[in-house]
Amino acid sequence: MDLDKDNANPTIINPSDLPSRRRSTPDAKPLGIFDALVPAYYPVALVDPLSSPEHLHDASSSDDDLDREEIDEQEVYDLISTISDPEHPLSLGSLGVVTLADIAIIPPSSPQSRISTVRVLVTPTTSACSLTTVIGLGVKVRLMEALPPRFRIDVRIKQGTSKTADEVNKQLGDKERVAAAMENRSLVSVVSNMLATCE
Amino acid sequence: MPSIKALATLSPPCTTRTWSSTPHPHLPIVATACSDKTARIYSLQNFEQQSTISGGHKRSVRSCAWKPNSRGESVLVTGSFDASAGIWRRWENNAGGGGKAEIDFTGGMAGGEEGEDEDEDEWRFAVILDGHDSEIKCVAFAATSPLLATCSRDKSVWIWEELEDDNFETVAVLQEHEGDVKCVAWHPSEEMLASGSYDDTIRLWREDVDDWACCALLTGHEGTVWWMDFEDVNNIYALDSDSTKTLTETQKTYVQGRMKAGPRLISCSDDMTIRIWKRIPKDKPEVPTGQIKAPSIWKNRDFEEEWVEEARLPQVHERPIYTVSWSKKTGKVVSTGSDGKIVVYEEQWREAKPENDADGDTTMDGATPAPEGEASTTNQSSNQLTEWKAVAVLENGHDVFEINHAVWAPRADKDKRTEDEEVIVSTGDDGEVKVWTLEP
Repeated sequence: MDLDKDNANPTIINPSDLPSRRRSTPDAKPLGIFDALVPAYYPVALVDPLSSPEHLHDASSSDDDLDREEIDEQEVYDLISTISDPEHPLSLGSLGVVTLADIAIIPPSSPQSRISTVRVLVTPTTSACSLTTVIGLGVKVRLMEALPPRFRIDVRIKQGTSKTADEVNKQLGDKERVAAAMENRSLVSVVSNMLATCE
Repeated sequence: MPSIKALATLSPPCTTRTWSSTPHPHLPIVATACSDKTARIYSLQNFEQQSTISGGHKRSVRSCAWKPNSRGESVLVTGSFDASAGIWRRWENNAGGGGKAEIDFTGGMAGGEEGEDEDEDEWRFAVILDGHDSEIKCVAFAATSPLLATCSRDKSVWIWEELEDDNFETVAVLQEHEGDVKCVAWHPSEEMLASGSYDDTIRLWREDVDDWACCALLTGHEGTVWWMDFEDVNNIYALDSDSTKTLTETQKTYVQGRMKAGPRLISCSDDMTIRIWKRIPKDKPEVPTGQIKAPSIWKNRDFEEEWVEEARLPQVHERPIYTVSWSKKTGKVVSTGSDGKIVVYEEQWREAKPENDADGDTTMDGATPAPEGEASTTNQSSNQLTEWKAVAVLENGHDVFEINHAVWAPRADKDKRTEDEEVIVSTGDDGEVKVWTLEP
């Protein structure tokens, strides 16, 4: 049955090797194979060094709290890693389609601007994956729905991973096409199936 | 330095994304295309909603256009993601008498509007235009003939002719674009259509004997062409009237050249540039030998036109630019886009360069027009006499949301300062339509 799939045998990452705020910092070196055996229940807030500067910032921005709530790469990763692959009953995180290292948050370009950019590079499971656009769309829709509107969401295919990267990038960057896709019932149902596994 | 100042937010706003707002050709109203499948008509006199056009489309209404010269009855076309275009009609209240009531500013403020509220549903559905295979992106009525253009993700541009009321016949299906056609705009005084596309190009179309065909291909943009607008026919004088000084001979020659070439076209793109394109008049058939490769494929020298990039506006936007609008009254340009900025630009006479010794003001013949004579196609500006400056920038025009559209419209509220005053109408992802004045 799997013959129909573009990639019937994808590489699957062990869930415990996936980045999580609980165990490790994003910049930590990749976990060794035995690290997965270590119980993963450390106190959450204390372990995450990235959160401290934001706490400082939070204290000074009381009137604009909701809007200015800082968001880091790990949070973005958490939002999209649980999206299901449209072909496999697996998450994009476990397939390595999205990785923490390929998420960047670009702050506003000037003091007047309040617009930040989240850039996610997607690595398709095979170079010919015809579902690349759908996966990209799922990631984009998930972030558009979950993040505050001050974030511009740029989802792109990681360079060199797909023959059709330019074409897919242009589609995913086209606001009008994305908007129209989300009014297309069959596409909406594919995407909502993918997102059903997000909390 | 001028500034852009908030005048009003049209009320009530839409609860979802709004795409564009198109000013009526002579009434003080705009038609706003909404993603909730409706078009809303708002008054620019009191900034309130007059009516809603709903029930005709199954998906987002992406753009609206008004039929020009339709005294007595307003005709609106709505283009939708459901691949159809709808034609809607409504009697203008003042049709019979006066015809002046629409500019009576008291009408919008007091009792006058009350009656209108009851007439909410007087928009009459007239006809649906089917034919496109996928989303219609833009619609436009011709200024000079009873033609309507629609364009779509199906890569085609359709031209419809209104033979008699509500009887539209397809006169052309233009399929040379290699990607979604995002926008169409008619030349203000000639039967010529411009289309901009996802394939990064602009095409100009005219009727050649019996068939519509592409008469010019404008390449240069490095991203989707989101919007275009033609300069007004009379606007070629804008520089002239703007200036209190008398023109130098060089400047006069330049103005004459501009008049001869006719209105220019402005375009904005995903590549974050705004470009101005001009026609090279072809009275002397052999002028441009220099840079143009042998025009071997030119089948009909009279039909093909040569258009070149004349100038690029200063880059202020940091994300894709979704619309650009060229004021028919002042020649100023307004642009907006994904970064939420609204930017106003103005074309000015370039100050004479110090190297050219004497002052531009007084030089009558010293400075020869642009040493590089012929138009270089891709340079910053092929015209050394004028330059574009960003004269006003507003950030976060619709809070943190993207702005999909901005357009000049005549000011119509009671605080209007001069007969010709214009406002900027912006339409955003927040569902709001805002009205702005340009403060000197």
